Amino acid sequence: MHGLFRWSSKWWPGVIPLVVFWAFAAWTSTIPLETDLAARSNAALKDTVLDKQRISVLGRDVGLSAEAFSEEGRLHAVGSVAAVPGVRLVNDNTRLVPEAKPFVWSAERDVARVTLGGSAPLPASKTRLLETARNALGGVEVADQMSLARGAPPRFDNAAALLIDQIAKLKDGKITLSDTKVSLAGMARELGGREAIAAALRNLPEGFSVAANDIKAPPYVFQAYKDPVASTLTLTGNVPDNNVHAALVANAGRKFFSEKVVDNLKASVGAPAGFAQAVVPALGALSRLSTGTLVVSDREVKLSGDALYDAAAQQIRAGLGKDFPQGWQFKAEISVKPQPSAVDATVCQQLFADLLTKARIRFESGSAELSQDSLGLLDRLTETAMRCPNANIEIAGHTDADGDPAANQALSEKRAQTVMDFLVRAGLPANRFTAVGYGASQPLAGNDTDEGKAQNRRIDFVVK
Amino acid sequence: MAYLATFFWGWLLTSLLLGFAMGWIAVVHRGPAVSRRLALWLSVLVAALLAAALARIVPGRYGYWLDLGLIMFALYLIGCAIGSWLRDWVVSRGLPRA
Repeated sequence: MHGLFRWSSKWWPGVIPLVVFWAFAAWTSTIPLETDLAARSNAALKDTVLDKQRISVLGRDVGLSAEAFSEEGRLHAVGSVAAVPGVRLVNDNTRLVPEAKPFVWSAERDVARVTLGGSAPLPASKTRLLETARNALGGVEVADQMSLARGAPPRFDNAAALLIDQIAKLKDGKITLSDTKVSLAGMARELGGREAIAAALRNLPEGFSVAANDIKAPPYVFQAYKDPVASTLTLTGNVPDNNVHAALVANAGRKFFSEKVVDNLKASVGAPAGFAQAVVPALGALSRLSTGTLVVSDREVKLSGDALYDAAAQQIRAGLGKDFPQGWQFKAEISVKPQPSAVDATVCQQLFADLLTKARIRFESGSAELSQDSLGLLDRLTETAMRCPNANIEIAGHTDADGDPAANQALSEKRAQTVMDFLVRAGLPANRFTAVGYGASQPLAGNDTDEGKAQNRRIDFVVK
Repeated sequence: MAYLATFFWGWLLTSLLLGFAMGWIAVVHRGPAVSRRLALWLSVLVAALLAAALARIVPGRYGYWLDLGLIMFALYLIGCAIGSWLRDWVVSRGLPRA
């Protein structure tokens, strides 16, 4: 031992090359060591959820800066890096992700893109929401402006995913989730979109509720265009369902007796209440026009066109709005078509006969009240009567043979009188007309079939 | 430590061999020796450096270089001790024969 001590006093010359080696070792190994430790530290943090993670290694000391989503996660991250073999110290610059209060998340849609903003609780949920948005929106660009924050309500991801599905149903607008309150504003992409969104919101996860739903639906439009040149009535737009669709087309067929009905309607949800009750009389008003357009947009009815004579124009302007359900508005731009040239009595008779072969004047069953479906025909008969101002006209009422002959006689007289009253109200002089009832005495066809009876129930115009 | 050893074992081996060679020479070397007083001071210095390394107070790369130097120095000393002892053993075994 004493020898060792003695020899050691002679060991010093080797320290000189040792220092040189040490310098070389330090020079060559520092960077590879740091790179290796950085890689190992990153690998150790692979399963830890962190935001803004940055690792810098100097020598064997690892500087870790990151934002963790819980205190437990933060400590775990520091511990994982400290446990990496070779690491001497961990310079801990970690902190917790800031807490958002209230926790607000939003999805906003404009013409070009959908922007997801506000806070998301975890990077994974942020990624998942972006993916959900891309899937739900097809080719629409999805912009990510979400930042990460703590404080999300439970089941946030499910709620946000459901809301992303709703933003897909919007043309433009914004959906905001503030803690557990959902606010929606904007315009639905399609008719019925508003209702579909409202229905979907009922499936929000437990604890979430709708604070404000200001989604607007695009206007519910129904249009009818009467073209006298092509002799067509074109129906376009929306109807509530197939029953209303069929009823409207059948109704239009009765009212527009000389026009072909072109049906381009499609059934869509979202019709305003009282749709059919408003559209049927509006179609009746259109049928009285020579040419015209009916536009029903939500609860607003616009009718424009040419009436056949002054009184008809006034009746339409004054009368139509009264038949509408509450809350509906009516705007009429009715002008009067110029009076056609006068004709002599024979032509007049021919014109009456032409009109009355195309359609019959209808009454309510068993009564002398005019059916609304016949107003268009009556206007045309009136217009024709105006063209032969010197002719006297007999308005002849006929019934079928069913029932009591005396009652039939009385009914035929009353019906003829009703038609005459209509003509007089239109401004024609009463002394040109005589209303005569023939009961069942002048049948056109046999009374043994329904078809024959229908032919026999009629009003004839006879020019005297 | 095991990790560090695997990382630069070449340099550690070099230090050990250098120490061994120096130790081998030292037994029969006739050059100047380190005085007792200086040796004491050097020991104090090494102890201070060792303490600094263990306390991890030297930051970053300097800390790593200090660790590296101390490990190399330790292995050098071990090499020296083995070298000197072996040389002494060889020499003392040879003496009676001579």
